[in-house]
Amino acid sequence: MHAFIALSKKEINQMTRDYKIVWLPIVFILLGLTQPIMMYYLPVILQSAGGVEGIMIDPNMAKPEGGEVLASTLNSQFDQLGIIILAVATMSIIQGEKANGMMAFILTRPVSISSYLNSKIIIHYILAVICMALGYAVSYGYSAYLFTTVPMTQAIWALVFYCVWLLFVITFVAMMSTFFTSPAFIALISIVVLFICRFTAGLHPILDVINPASNSLYATNILMTGKVGTWYGINVIVTLLLVLLMIMTMQSFIAKKKF
Amino acid sequence: MRLEIKNITKKFKHKTAVNGFSMVIDANECVGLIGPNGAGKSTLIQIIADILYADEGEVLLDGQKNSSMKHQIGYLPQYPNFFSWMTAFETLYFMGTLSGIAKTELQKEIPLLLEKVGLGKEAHIHVGTFSGGMKQRLGIAQALLHKPALMIMDEPVSALDPIGRREVLNLLKEIKKETTILLSTHILSDAEEICERFVVIKNGHKIEDATKSELLKRHQESAIFLMIRKEDFKWLTMIEHLPYVKKVESCGNGFKVFVDYLEGDAHRLLQHGLDAKVLFTKFEVGIQDNLEEIFLELVV
Repeated sequence: MHAFIALSKKEINQMTRDYKIVWLPIVFILLGLTQPIMMYYLPVILQSAGGVEGIMIDPNMAKPEGGEVLASTLNSQFDQLGIIILAVATMSIIQGEKANGMMAFILTRPVSISSYLNSKIIIHYILAVICMALGYAVSYGYSAYLFTTVPMTQAIWALVFYCVWLLFVITFVAMMSTFFTSPAFIALISIVVLFICRFTAGLHPILDVINPASNSLYATNILMTGKVGTWYGINVIVTLLLVLLMIMTMQSFIAKKKF
Repeated sequence: MRLEIKNITKKFKHKTAVNGFSMVIDANECVGLIGPNGAGKSTLIQIIADILYADEGEVLLDGQKNSSMKHQIGYLPQYPNFFSWMTAFETLYFMGTLSGIAKTELQKEIPLLLEKVGLGKEAHIHVGTFSGGMKQRLGIAQALLHKPALMIMDEPVSALDPIGRREVLNLLKEIKKETTILLSTHILSDAEEICERFVVIKNGHKIEDATKSELLKRHQESAIFLMIRKEDFKWLTMIEHLPYVKKVESCGNGFKVFVDYLEGDAHRLLQHGLDAKVLFTKFEVGIQDNLEEIFLELVV
């Protein structure tokens, strides 16, 4: 336990040194801001800047609900740019220390591989959740201000489901970071796989049960309709099991000293 | 702490780095692992430190697997690497907490230890600005921090200047009394100073394992070294034909006379010389190579 705490503290210190603790929240706040503002001003922008004749803005076009705006923050900002940024921000969490020998050096101490891995994943997950929640809160505020207010319980449930998906994202990037040595490759493969997960979510009900990205879909469902959808309990359990499986894979990979 | 290495084999893709290596180091023994570059020293040391994974064989510390005895092992890598953003004090504090040392003890011990390895003034400077030698000193400090019963050091003094080298050797001499030490090096004079026993490794095989005196004795030449005045040189041509003299060889300012039975023949030769009225300026029975020569003989 003492090792886990010491490693976590080190991880936080390192984040502070890298200013990750500053820029990552700012990026997510900007992402959260973009969606409601863009949706609100898009007709105005088109009207004034478009300038091409023939464009007609339907004045009777229905103004979107606050929930829809918030949902589109999740699936068109956080699930796209957000994932890319998270993958880049976490790509070297293990690879970096693997490359400079610090991981092997730390493991010559009586430190278990699991406390080493868990400290990394948990701290980065907490940071990701905080950043995402900040961005989400800003988006919530602007949606309420510019459109309609989303019920608080719905917003919070959506956040909870989204955080389950986020856990999968961070663990997956960490796993890639354990397996591969090139940071660019780690980021690329993480982004590709996570995007595939995200885009296949909602295609087929059976596939959805085992797809961790369905959690993101549930979040948007809650915001748009107030309902989660079917099988969400099983999906959450499957996602958590996948996360556990990935952590165990990483552990045995490091234990066999294949790095 | 007793270290047993049993039949370790480690293969990399194109090369077998360590091949069926076994040895036993008794508690509080200091052993020098010697070998040319690429002999497998570092690989073996990393296996003992549980950084690399042996394909075959096992490493036992007091009868237990090395992976469960990490709190008793102090390890110094060949090129110690630290988090560049930590200060020397923070590095030791971090490493100490990982070993489970209490905070109060760390606060007390670290300044003393830094003083000991000659980093007293640099305690609060970032490691990123340290020179290679300073990092090496910090590496030694972290290996000593948790007072291990076994120290494994990969080239502990190779990167240090003569002053640092002296300090570190003195430090090692000090801890030697209660610590088992295994150090790898290719600088023999350093190893000679603190180690009693030498293990020579070449191409992953153990080719020699002996104490210093055994090693010297084993590689003693059955020869007599003598120096005589110029006017007596004709005597040398005489002794060349003696039945017990195998060969006479010029060596530096003197001559090496190779014989069969060192002691008896030395006596006869000396008597012969005295009878011929030769004035010996130097007469030495048994020529000992120094460790360096023995090492070269073994590995080349």
